[in-house]
Amino acid sequence: MSNNRSDVEELVYDTCMLLDAKDFKGFLERCDERFEYKLSAYSPEIKREMTWLDHGRAEISELFNTLPRHNTDPSPLTRNAVVYKVKVDDDAKRASVVSALQVFRTAINGGVTELFAIGKYYDTVDLNGDTPRLLARHVKLDTRDLGWVHHVPF
Amino acid sequence: MSRNSAQWTRKPRLPPTHYADPVIYSDPQLFEEEKEKIFKRVWHLAIHESEVAGPYDYRVYQHPGGTQLIIVRGEDGKVRTFYNMCPHRGNLLVYEPFGNAKKLVCIFHQWAFNGKGDCIDIPRADAGYQDRVCKNDVSLKEVRTEVGYGGFVWVNLDDNCGSLAEHIGPALDYMLPELEAEPLQTLWYYQAHLNTNFKLIHDTNSEFYHDYLHYYNRVTGMLDPKSGYFQRKYTAFPNGHASVGSMMVKYDAYKGSGRSELGWPKLPPKGWKLIDLFPCITFNLRTSVLRIDSYIPLAPDRVILEFRILGLKSDTVEISRQREKDAAVIWSPFGRNLHEDLLASSGQGIAMASGSEAMHVLQAREEELTIHDEVGMRHYLAEWSRRMGRSASSPLAVLLAGARVA
Repeated sequence: MSNNRSDVEELVYDTCMLLDAKDFKGFLERCDERFEYKLSAYSPEIKREMTWLDHGRAEISELFNTLPRHNTDPSPLTRNAVVYKVKVDDDAKRASVVSALQVFRTAINGGVTELFAIGKYYDTVDLNGDTPRLLARHVKLDTRDLGWVHHVPF
Repeated sequence: MSRNSAQWTRKPRLPPTHYADPVIYSDPQLFEEEKEKIFKRVWHLAIHESEVAGPYDYRVYQHPGGTQLIIVRGEDGKVRTFYNMCPHRGNLLVYEPFGNAKKLVCIFHQWAFNGKGDCIDIPRADAGYQDRVCKNDVSLKEVRTEVGYGGFVWVNLDDNCGSLAEHIGPALDYMLPELEAEPLQTLWYYQAHLNTNFKLIHDTNSEFYHDYLHYYNRVTGMLDPKSGYFQRKYTAFPNGHASVGSMMVKYDAYKGSGRSELGWPKLPPKGWKLIDLFPCITFNLRTSVLRIDSYIPLAPDRVILEFRILGLKSDTVEISRQREKDAAVIWSPFGRNLHEDLLASSGQGIAMASGSEAMHVLQAREEELTIHDEVGMRHYLAEWSRRMGRSASSPLAVLLAGARVA
C-alpha cells in the first residue's frame, strides 16, 4: 500500500499537468474505475451550492470524448494546486486530500495571463495499489463568475 | 472577391429593417440614451420571489439604468423595492447581495429604515436638526414592483409606467401554464461579466440559425427530420417580445447526454419553449429546467449576464439534483452550449469594437417565420428604434419624425 504523502501529492500535481496538457486519457489512467467527479460553487445570493458538473467515470470520459466536436476557447489553462492536508485512513486504505487550486488562463492572442478561478480540490485517493489513484474529486470553486466560461473541467 | 473600405462599410442593398448599423453596439452616446429611453422605462426581471422567501429577507439588484436597488420582503409578506441609497448622504444601505434584517441600518450614521421604506430612527435627530429635518421627509425611494409570471419580481424605475401585464402583453401566455402550475425555486444564480454589447448576446437567444455553432443542438434537433425543429415558428408580440414554437428534443442522439426522464408540469415530454422579452430577458423552458437570462449592461461593450436555473419548490433533494444535472449538460459554465454562445457574442464584441470599421450587421434571413428566420432580431430592433427615436440601420441620422423622446 502506498501511503506516502509525497506519492499522494504527486498524484494531485500529475492530474493538474495532465489536464493542462489536455491528456484526458492520461488523467483517467490516474483515476480509479469507480471515479466520481463533481464541481460546484456556492451562490451566496440564493444561499445554495450550485452543482455544475456531477459525473461518474464513464460520463466524464464521454465528456472528454465529445470535446473536439465543440467550439472552445483555445487559450490554455494552467492549474496550480497546493496540497494542504493529507489524512490517511489505514483501515480503508484511503486518503482524504484537500488542496488549494488556482487556475490561470493565458490568452492565445498575445499571451496575457490572468487568474481565471480559485477553489479547492477535495479528493479521495485509493491507496490499495502500488501508486495512489483518484477515487473521487470534488472541486469547490470560490469563483463563480467565469466570464465566457470554459468546456474543460478543472 | 474581397472588398475595399467603401464597399465594406456601404449600406447593404436590403430594406433598412434587415440590417443594423454596427454603431448601435458600440457608441457610448447611444448607450447613455438606451439607459434613459429604455432601461429606465421598462419592466426588468430583478429576482425570483424564492430569493426573498421569508419576512425581512432582502436581495440587492443592480438596475441596468444605473441605480442599485434593494428588494425586501416586509413583515406583511409583501415584496417592495427601494433605492439602495441612504437618503442622508447617499451611502449604500446594504453591502451584501443578500441578507435578513428587521431594520435597514446605514453603517455610516446609523439612520434606520423599515421594510416599508419608513425612516424609523435618526440618531440625535432633535439635537442636530431641530424641526428642520424629520423622519417623514427622509423615507426611502420606493420603486414600482410587481410579482408575477412564475413568481418573478419585476421592477420599473418609471413611477408613471403602465402595469407589468401591459408591458408583457400576451408574450408569456404560451408558457404561463408551466410557469404557474407550481411555485418555483432558484437552483442556480451566477453572473458572467462579458466584453460585448448586451444586444449581441440577446440576439443569440433571438435566432437559431446559430445552431451551426452548437453540435449539441444539431444532433438533438436540427438534423432530425422528426423533431419538428424546422417547423417551429416565431411569433412577434407588441413591445418587442417574441416567442419560438415548441419542439421535441432528441436528447439521446448526443452521446453522453446524461439526460433524465424528468419533465415539467404542463410541458409535453421532451418539450422546449422559449420567449424573448424586450429589452434583455429570455425565458427558456427545456424539458426539466427553466433557464432565465437577464442582463445588466454596464457600458456599450461590457455587460453582466445574470443566469438562473429554476426547479419546483416541491422537488425533493434528489429531483433538484437531477434537474441541476440536466441543466449542467448544456448550460452550466462547463456545459456544451453556454460557452459557445458566450464565445460567439464576445467575439462579435471584440471584432466590432468602437473604431474597428465594422460592416452593417445583416439580419436579412426570411424563411416564412420559421426557426432560421431572423424576424426575432428584426422585431427587437423595430421596438428599439421606436423607443430610441432612431432607426437601427441609421441611428446617427436625424431623430425620426414624431419620435418619442424621454
